[in-house]
Amino acid sequence: MSGQAKGRIFPVVVISLFCITILAGLFGTLLPSLNYLPVIGYTRISLSAWFDFFSYPGIQTSIFVTLFSGITASFGVVCLAFLFISFSYGNALWKFFEKILAPVLSIPHAAFAIGFGFLIAPSGWLMRMVSPVLTGFTRPPDWIILNDPAGLSLTIALVIKEFPFLIMVTMGALGQLDIKKTLLVGRALGYSKEQIWLKILIPRLYPHLRLSVFAVIAYSLSVVDMAIILGPSSPSSLSVLILKWFNDPDMSFKLLAAAGSLFLFFMVVVSILCACLMERAVLVFLRPWITNGKRCSFVSPLKSIIFFMGCGTLFFTAVSSVILVIWSLTWQWRFPDFLPATWTLKLWAKGLMSSFDPVMTTLFTGLASAFIGLLLAIGCLEHEVAAGKTRTRNYTGYIHYFLYLPLLVPQITFMAGIQFLLVIMNMDGYWISLMVSHLLFVLPYMFIALSATYIAFDERVTDQAMLLKRSYIKVLFRVKLPMLIKPILFSFAIGFSVSVAQYIPTMLVGAGRFSTITTEVVSIASGSDRRAIAVYALIQQCLPMMMYAFAIIFPKILYYNRKGMQV
Amino acid sequence: MSLELNNLSILKQGSTIFDPVNLVIKPGEITTIMGPSGCGKSTLLSAVSGSLDKVFTLKGSILLYGSNMADISMEKRNIGILFQDDLLFPHMDIGSNLAFAIKEKTSRVQKSQIIDKALKTAGLEGFEKRDPSSLSGGQKARISLLRSLLAKPSALLLDEPFSKLDQTLKAKIRLFVFSQIKKMNIPALLVTHDPRDCPEGGMILNLNKEKG
Repeated sequence: MSGQAKGRIFPVVVISLFCITILAGLFGTLLPSLNYLPVIGYTRISLSAWFDFFSYPGIQTSIFVTLFSGITASFGVVCLAFLFISFSYGNALWKFFEKILAPVLSIPHAAFAIGFGFLIAPSGWLMRMVSPVLTGFTRPPDWIILNDPAGLSLTIALVIKEFPFLIMVTMGALGQLDIKKTLLVGRALGYSKEQIWLKILIPRLYPHLRLSVFAVIAYSLSVVDMAIILGPSSPSSLSVLILKWFNDPDMSFKLLAAAGSLFLFFMVVVSILCACLMERAVLVFLRPWITNGKRCSFVSPLKSIIFFMGCGTLFFTAVSSVILVIWSLTWQWRFPDFLPATWTLKLWAKGLMSSFDPVMTTLFTGLASAFIGLLLAIGCLEHEVAAGKTRTRNYTGYIHYFLYLPLLVPQITFMAGIQFLLVIMNMDGYWISLMVSHLLFVLPYMFIALSATYIAFDERVTDQAMLLKRSYIKVLFRVKLPMLIKPILFSFAIGFSVSVAQYIPTMLVGAGRFSTITTEVVSIASGSDRRAIAVYALIQQCLPMMMYAFAIIFPKILYYNRKGMQV
Repeated sequence: MSLELNNLSILKQGSTIFDPVNLVIKPGEITTIMGPSGCGKSTLLSAVSGSLDKVFTLKGSILLYGSNMADISMEKRNIGILFQDDLLFPHMDIGSNLAFAIKEKTSRVQKSQIIDKALKTAGLEGFEKRDPSSLSGGQKARISLLRSLLAKPSALLLDEPFSKLDQTLKAKIRLFVFSQIKKMNIPALLVTHDPRDCPEGGMILNLNKEKG
């Protein structure tokens, strides 16, 4: 041993993968934006693509609507999450949230957006529930709810979809604070629980959540699949416009797409900087409020509003799945009727047949990227454990700095760049590059999900096993990993569901040669047959659910007669 | 006549965990409850402070200056607590930690005067801007007591407040705490397993485990 813990290859591979792909992606976008794309004959560096971008008809509206929906959604969801935690931590609603978080999070964005659209559209289920009794409508009203020009429906859908994500990262971070004792101390000083949360605990919690909040901002500004389904259409939000340019048969639009996606990246960077400034400002301005000494209990209307909104997000998530099921089984359904007049399984039969190939691509890509993600995550964590034991350099510690990178740069920006580079190197359209592009987003979530439990594993068990078996590999595969089967399968399911939901990497890196269930769902979402759309959206939603179910059931079957593993 | 426990006992699954307690603590007095760990000392304190876990039920009454505490929530009781951990808020400076305790209708100037004065009594002048984690154990313990007292509690509970301090410090901090309680003239209830923690001349109650 040369003073280095074994397995350092894993963190080195992961960090290089992250750095190289993101830097290459940004570089690959920068060049075409400066008019350099030799494949289609552009070799003279100039700023013309940028001039074209800023003079594109309707571009100001696009930028404005992107900023409006992205910032409103991020700000709204962060406030909602913090207030919700403050008002309901530890109560029955909170415990219910803890239980259903995983299935709620596993719903792909596209499937949710479609279900949500089926609910709120003028001819949607909500309108049918109150028509014609309350509204008098016998035909759908002529309102623009879906694809509204201000992006409101997109904003609301983003809030609903990001809310459980923020609650999940908060639950992870809560373990690092001494909540019970802080509440005791605060209450002994005469403050109500809600006040202690808002004045003491949230300010302490925020530094742990900062990166997740940034990820929410980046996602909300650059979301594509949900924006295609729910967002404004003409002009559409910036990310959708960029994708349109990218896929334009006129190759010169690629330069415009490159400039646009760099501008989107710039918007994300500026928004994140604003979030940092706002954090500072809030800290300064709220200091007098924190120590103003007022003791009051928050039995205000605010509390019920927040409860209502928290439950509302759950309601909409659940009901948008239900409406998908109903539509997928519908044969005939006239407008004001609450339920379909006739039902059928034909659409399912047709949908399952026609979606077979995309589903297979989705499965293979998801399984492969989650499997490689798992190998890398376990390798890195093993290295961290080994480094801890031998008190040597821990390379895995550095991973945390890089883990969030793919989540902070807009997907479309660096995926576009990677695609340009792949085209230049004549390597585009291979399945392996598609799978690696998924891995970039799969790995961070898997690592975050697995690391806490993995590091907390009682190493005395492995030490004992090493004394008996003397083979590291045998001990790892026969003792440690089987004992950790539950968190491992769970992290696998998370990785798989992240891969299933990927839209932009498949569209760009797949170069049109691969279609997954997600790209299919988004492309038929604009169609008119709600029944077919519902079937596809449900297939997309079922894939991750099945993996979660497997992760829950398999350990139970495997260890049905081992009481110590049933926790 | 100020803090009274009348026939106080705590039940868990129908059986009491210690003999009924009868106590009267006058302002400025400190009564000590002794007993081995697990005898229910801390449970008794949480009953008085109002943070009793739901698995327990309370019998008897707790009176503070004549008013029954039974149905009053913890934050409304105006009873301060001092724990063995300092539990200062690590993200605030010392001044903010203390200001957090001061009740409203105090101007900022008044507040900083109050904090200055409090810090002086503890021999910690000029500590307002200090980071809590830069303080020694004894300094933290003193700040923690100051914070509890700045909320002007009507009574103070001490849950083994000295057990984490080292021997030489213990005596000093003890004297400081006891003198402050005297000065505030409030009743105090101390829980400990160390006989040396008891103030001179204070009443001592040994908590007995209920038999059978």
